[in-house]
Amino acid sequence: MLNSDKTLPRILTYQGIPVWRHAQILQWAAQIASAILVVALVMWFFGNMAFAIEDREIPFGFSFLAREYQTPIGEHVLPYESSDSFLYALIVASTNTVVVAVAGVILATLLGIFIGVCRLSPNWIVSKLATVYIEFFRNVPLIIQLFFWFYIILALPTVRDAYVILDWLYISNAGISFAAPLAGGIAPAVVWLAAAVAAVVAGVLVHHRLARREEETGRPSYPFVFGCVATVGIAAIAWLVLSGIFGESPFSISTPAPQGRFGRIDGGATIRAGMLVLLVGLVIYTSSFIAELVRAGIQSVGRGQTEAARALGLSPMNTLRQVTFPQALRVIIPPWISQCLNLTKNSSLGGVVGYTDLFNVAVTMTQTAPAINIFLMLMAAYLAMSLTWSLIGNLYNRHIGFTG
Amino acid sequence: MAAETQTPTATVLPPPRTEVGVIGWMHANLFSSRLNSVLTVVSGALTLVILWYGLRWIFGTADWTVVKTVGGLFLIGSYNTELACPGQNCFWRPQASLLMVTALLGMIWGIMGGGVARRIALLAAVVAALFAFLPYSLERMGWDVRILLLANLPATGIGWALARYTPLGQAKWAVVWGVAAFLITLVLMRGIPNVPGLQPVSVVYWGGLTLNLILAVGGISLSLPIGIALALGRRSNLPVVKLLCVVFIEVFRGVPLITLLFMSQTLVPLAFPEDFPQNSLFRAAVVITMFSSAYMAENIRGGLQALHPGQAEAARALGLPGWQTTLLISLPQAIRNVIPAIVGQFIALFKDTSLVYIIGMVDIVEMGRVFISRPEYLGSAKEMFVFLAIVFWVFCYGMSYISRRIEIHLGVGQR
Repeated sequence: MLNSDKTLPRILTYQGIPVWRHAQILQWAAQIASAILVVALVMWFFGNMAFAIEDREIPFGFSFLAREYQTPIGEHVLPYESSDSFLYALIVASTNTVVVAVAGVILATLLGIFIGVCRLSPNWIVSKLATVYIEFFRNVPLIIQLFFWFYIILALPTVRDAYVILDWLYISNAGISFAAPLAGGIAPAVVWLAAAVAAVVAGVLVHHRLARREEETGRPSYPFVFGCVATVGIAAIAWLVLSGIFGESPFSISTPAPQGRFGRIDGGATIRAGMLVLLVGLVIYTSSFIAELVRAGIQSVGRGQTEAARALGLSPMNTLRQVTFPQALRVIIPPWISQCLNLTKNSSLGGVVGYTDLFNVAVTMTQTAPAINIFLMLMAAYLAMSLTWSLIGNLYNRHIGFTG
Repeated sequence: MAAETQTPTATVLPPPRTEVGVIGWMHANLFSSRLNSVLTVVSGALTLVILWYGLRWIFGTADWTVVKTVGGLFLIGSYNTELACPGQNCFWRPQASLLMVTALLGMIWGIMGGGVARRIALLAAVVAALFAFLPYSLERMGWDVRILLLANLPATGIGWALARYTPLGQAKWAVVWGVAAFLITLVLMRGIPNVPGLQPVSVVYWGGLTLNLILAVGGISLSLPIGIALALGRRSNLPVVKLLCVVFIEVFRGVPLITLLFMSQTLVPLAFPEDFPQNSLFRAAVVITMFSSAYMAENIRGGLQALHPGQAEAARALGLPGWQTTLLISLPQAIRNVIPAIVGQFIALFKDTSLVYIIGMVDIVEMGRVFISRPEYLGSAKEMFVFLAIVFWVFCYGMSYISRRIEIHLGVGQR
């Protein structure tokens, strides 16, 4: 070791791999370069935008949220008046999207499982019908399907000449109206709903207990029957008691009835045409994808599983329900989540069929409020929905994953 | 005297009537159990009802005048109108592009040698040539145009012959020609200033199926490489690169495409200086490509994750540097494993091109909508959308059919 080494700093006497071939240095250089590039680009964009905002006096800022929106929203689940604020209008529109997304996911999943199982049926006609359904609906853009259903609904008779089934169901070009329970008063309704929840919990507990006993002792205990009896019994007793105390039953059935010359339907519950078209389109489109996932999932379970279950004497239905499908779920869930996500995002097409979803309302708002801020909030809202789906999916995925 | 043992002559009995032939097939597939028989009757009745009403509607009740009237406008939108192309016939430009495509298909047929490629090439050429015999509603549709359409047949033949009998019969030349054809198409459609016969046509007049196809082809060919880069970035151990890729992928995947399209037309122009050359079609294409590549990245990441780490380790042990391990060992296997997902994304992209009407572009769907909103075709919406559905279905189903053939060809799931 030379003496001069000690006098010079280490960096000047570096004798390792040349700097231009040193992997770590190169990697860091690349990272810093890409970071600088991206930051510069973003800053350039924002700089231009800030300049444009100032130069062309483009409105900007979140102060509009407290202002009155003063525009009607066609369909809304939450109560809404035109005098409500922008912020509340956005919340109303978001609930519209969430309602369609949740209902759509549930219906599309049920229909998708049904079609997917049909696709694997040993029955030739059933399997071919399911194949045609899947191959047709997933290969046609959703927007065309939505337009198609839109015009189909539009061609239905008006409310005054609606198709009526048993006075309980009205189908017209304004939507579908059906009989629905109507709360008699707030107090009895809430109390009875609480009692009903308690009844369901009790029923589940009874089922659990009896199933355990059946498993341990081998004596038939009919857990399902007694569970149902417990639930229905408690709910019915609560109903009678509440009717006695308050003098009116907690819920009555309200049937739809056309009113007036132009045929407005009062009573019952109504799914208006816009939501109906959007739901039908989304459910049919997404179910064709889910059906394909279900098929692939079931086929991924080894043949031996089915054969073993059949050899143990399980019926084909029970084999599917208790052996094949639970195992298939592991394969199905991750892509199913992305289908839920797609459905939620696709619901932004609601505007084209007259449903006031979040995107539609936001675009309408840009005419009277700063577009930049509205789009920022819109993106944040959709990102939040997507992340929620991912979270649900990941939790469930962890729940059913292989343990150990 | 030895007793003669008499072996009974073996008569081979035919299999029971119920196990072979039509009856056997029906027994196995339609009536194997009581439940199955019920299902057969119910679903068979359902099929017959659907077929009866469907066919009666298609050939009887439905009024297809609106579809016939739109005719060639489905293909090019308002590209050839007096507004877009004053004083001359611009119809030959998209048609010259079509000729390049059929030549490319012929070339692929020559390289792949029969099978699917042949069927697709011939089908495309015949369909294109058949358009020459259709009664067009287009004004200014002369014999030159019809001859150009008929020329698709020889173009396919020339492509095939080039691939077969010249050194051009290699996949890489087909790719080069494909890229060249796409770029030439863009230039032809856009036009060049001060060149006679090639006067510029603004992109706002591009429309019809041509617009869908241009967006789809551009998006498909760019989203795959960008998606691969994003997937590799997301899996890299460089924290900054990884973060950037994750943010890009999650933001683009988490937002509906129409939101992005809308923003591309309202907000993105603000992010550039006012004198920056801008083009609405280009912005839409960029947004569609980025959206699609975020999805593509996740598909490819899935393929990379499914790959056994032993592959990369073996490659490193053999002394391959990192980039060669990725390019030659990991990626080809990963991509092969996720071909269905990748093609599924291509199909989704093609279907998504129908959303550009949100930003005022007149693609094939919007072209149809323009016509059914006219008073004289007020009742023809169903016919129009059934027709559009069939057009998209043919393309999308064709893509998924090709993907299945490629999978069989590569032996996915056979090892």
